[in-house]
Amino acid sequence: MSSPKTIEISETPFVNEVRLNARHWAAVFVILAIILVATPRLWKRLERFQTGPDYRIPYALSKDYWLYQRRLQRIAPTNVVVLGDSVVWGEYVLPEGTLSHFLQSGQPAMFVNGGVNGLFPLALEGLVRYYGGPLRGRKVIVHCNALWMSSPKADLRTEKEERFNHAELVPQFFPRIPCYKADLNHRLSAVVERNFPFSQWVTHLQVTCFGQKSILNWTLEEDGSDPPHYPNAYKNPFAQIRFAIPPEPADDPERGPRSPRHKPWSTTGTSGSPGEGTTRFEWVDLDESLQWAAFQRLVKLLESRDNDVFVLIGPFNEHIMAEENRPAFRRLRDGIVGWLAKNHVPYIVPATLPSALYADASHPLTEGYQRLAGELWSAAQFRDWLKRTRTAR
Amino acid sequence: MGTHVGGYSSENSTMLFHTWPFAIFLLIVLPVFFALRKTRLWLPWLTVASYFFYGWWNPYYLFLVLYSTVLDFSLVALMDHCPHGGQKVDVRARLTRLRFEDRVLKFAFVGATSAAAGILGLALAGPKTLRPTMAALGVLVLLMALGALLSSRRIWLLISLVNNLALLLFFKYARFVVENLNAVFASHVALKLPDPSTLMPFGFEYLLPVGISFFTFQSLSYTIDFYLGNVQRERNFLRFATFVCFFPQLMAGPIERARHLLPQFRQFPPIRLQNFTDGASLFLVGLFKKLALANYLSFYVERMYDNPKAHGAAALILATAAFGWQIFFDFSGYTDMARGVAKLMGFHLILNFNNPYLATGLGDFWSRWHISLSTWFRDYVYIPLGGNKHGTFNMYRNLFIVFLISGIWHGAAWTFFIWGTLHALGVMITRELERSAFYRTCVPRLMKQLGVFVFVSFAWIFFRAESLNDALLIVQRIFTAAWHDPQIPALMLGLVALVWLYEFLYESRLRNVLQTDFVRVGAAVFMVLYLCLCGSGGGTFIYFQF
Repeated sequence: MSSPKTIEISETPFVNEVRLNARHWAAVFVILAIILVATPRLWKRLERFQTGPDYRIPYALSKDYWLYQRRLQRIAPTNVVVLGDSVVWGEYVLPEGTLSHFLQSGQPAMFVNGGVNGLFPLALEGLVRYYGGPLRGRKVIVHCNALWMSSPKADLRTEKEERFNHAELVPQFFPRIPCYKADLNHRLSAVVERNFPFSQWVTHLQVTCFGQKSILNWTLEEDGSDPPHYPNAYKNPFAQIRFAIPPEPADDPERGPRSPRHKPWSTTGTSGSPGEGTTRFEWVDLDESLQWAAFQRLVKLLESRDNDVFVLIGPFNEHIMAEENRPAFRRLRDGIVGWLAKNHVPYIVPATLPSALYADASHPLTEGYQRLAGELWSAAQFRDWLKRTRTAR
Repeated sequence: MGTHVGGYSSENSTMLFHTWPFAIFLLIVLPVFFALRKTRLWLPWLTVASYFFYGWWNPYYLFLVLYSTVLDFSLVALMDHCPHGGQKVDVRARLTRLRFEDRVLKFAFVGATSAAAGILGLALAGPKTLRPTMAALGVLVLLMALGALLSSRRIWLLISLVNNLALLLFFKYARFVVENLNAVFASHVALKLPDPSTLMPFGFEYLLPVGISFFTFQSLSYTIDFYLGNVQRERNFLRFATFVCFFPQLMAGPIERARHLLPQFRQFPPIRLQNFTDGASLFLVGLFKKLALANYLSFYVERMYDNPKAHGAAALILATAAFGWQIFFDFSGYTDMARGVAKLMGFHLILNFNNPYLATGLGDFWSRWHISLSTWFRDYVYIPLGGNKHGTFNMYRNLFIVFLISGIWHGAAWTFFIWGTLHALGVMITRELERSAFYRTCVPRLMKQLGVFVFVSFAWIFFRAESLNDALLIVQRIFTAAWHDPQIPALMLGLVALVWLYEFLYESRLRNVLQTDFVRVGAAVFMVLYLCLCGSGGGTFIYFQF
């Protein structure tokens, strides 16, 4: 047998000139490090961000956690931040109709609306853990919304896949969220973004300038007309960058007393939605609840960061509940109260508001917030908590 | 596109080069690989890593790649025990007295005969779900017994060919063939062939194993090369297994040759800084091609090709050209990343793309596009058929056969058949043109390049369209529909133009401009920043389905 032909193992051929040596790579790393570190910092100086006393993160920017962090960095040390979901944010009301607004009560700019639309305890925990650094050492009111424990689905415990808001904030691996079925790459991307400010800044850019799309997807945006039209195809993407945070619409048709959504819950019974005493909630067992466990971790996290925490429980719209459901709800509420008391966390359980002051199961209307703020101010434990200094705890 | 793609249908099972799971995989594999450099364990580690990588997609198909590997390894070992050239064999003595000159062949004969009896028994009386698989395996083992009995290298080669091509045929083409035959039978005879999925053992899902066309061709090249005396027998099974399933190139090539890749696994590659810098350079360019360019273009192409009736001629023409670039960026991006990852470990994979859209003829195009497949077909189909040695007619016949097979290799659909045929015709035409002095000397190079691009793009219509009807509709609309505003993003056009310009400069006298430190570093910085700002996360690779 003739000896087999062997071919020489040559150097890896290149068909372009992007072949960098060690010196080139060192230069690339230095340049990139400067750009990646400096850009988000520089951006904060360049971009106009106007916040008034009732400022809340606009609905369209809810997923801009970099902006949320920036917002917290701007708050005066003496301010009290109210944290929570859309109940705190004010789903049906204008910025001047929220709980934080009515809590001001002659002390302008003391209470800050730290609510984010679409949040829930598992996501709120993530928001505070990864973006809530500037909250350190402050007085914080945390709203506890029992709605998130009103069914296994709301508790995110069902095995069937559910798509929910702020998935990037929930624990990606532990504890396991059964209905969260994102692939490993998505989960790891979320973990990377939490720890990489440049990536957060890119999301900020996408949210504020490109309608929550990547720049490439923005150029391909379709306006839904027939035949299809792509309005951004020939536009210059860089012209979209305006160095200013878009404010909340001055006259939001979706919110406020003049909005068709801003109507008392009790009247919705006539329009087909469940009416008085008709909704049957499947309250979850507190010991097994993922959302409650996240809330507990949140409180502990805040305390570990030297925050002075006050918990506002509800008020949940009990009018909506079927009679046989109420004992289970009260047991759940008592369980929450018991844990807070055991852990010496000051709290308040306001009385249920009149049904006409709710828009749904948990969101008050403008007047509801006003009454709630009044109840808080009349509660001695709230006033004591506000007065006390951190060392007095 | 033609076949249903399996193995990575679940979002949870993707480990692509541009995903975080792969980054973690590599962060584990690389340090351990280097840590084991002074031991014998680096090779087993590479094998385990490769099997883990493949198993991540679908663990069941590990059996398939393992089966193919074991069989080809054994077949070559048995081939090595057979004499070269013809030798008279006393078949009667072997059958009646089991008198074999070679003990290994005797063992193989006895083993294969007994195994065949058992396997065929299972095919006749075993569990129903196993019968078709056992019947096929039984025939293969019987052939092995025959190979041992006749001590015939040719039969061992035949078994390897039958086995590898049968795997491909079954998983890739069986449904297409059955559907077409049933359509023919429907009007003539009362016969309906069963769907291939009913032949799967234990009720396993009938899916196309990702990368099957690549690893079967790679494994097959080893047996053919050994038969032809081009490569030595590999005695280390782990080395051969790593050659077949080496994770950087397992899914979509480049299809390596045993004589190029196997020797690289004989000893730990030298660790050099240049391996890292070159590997990182290749990987970055590949990542950019995939995430910044291919994925971006795919959105526009998909929009037009999903609903060709809704779009005018200009949009369809641009979408077709965009697809040409999309598939180039996608596939060459994958290859760049594969070569980059291999290079990080010190291994060299062959070049698979060489700026194909600068080709001046169709022959030139195929020497620049998917080079490892083109050369595979050249060496194992075209040359064995006679190549260009027996006159012009035979040469063109051979070319036609090669391109037809190449088309069908890409997928089981008539559109791929037409795509292959078009390229065969294109190669013939340009060969004829290149014979004329006028074409060679008077037609400007740029015009030839544009001509090739236009032709290749036209052929891509058949490659990309969902069905033959869609392809024909697109062709019809390109020539008859109104010229509406194509609304292609200017950014997309700009990026493609930039890449094309870069390639032109690379092959021009101005290449030294691209070799300056400023341009190299600037290009790398630009690509990283662009990926950070604009990268579009996901998307699998087009060629994973082939």
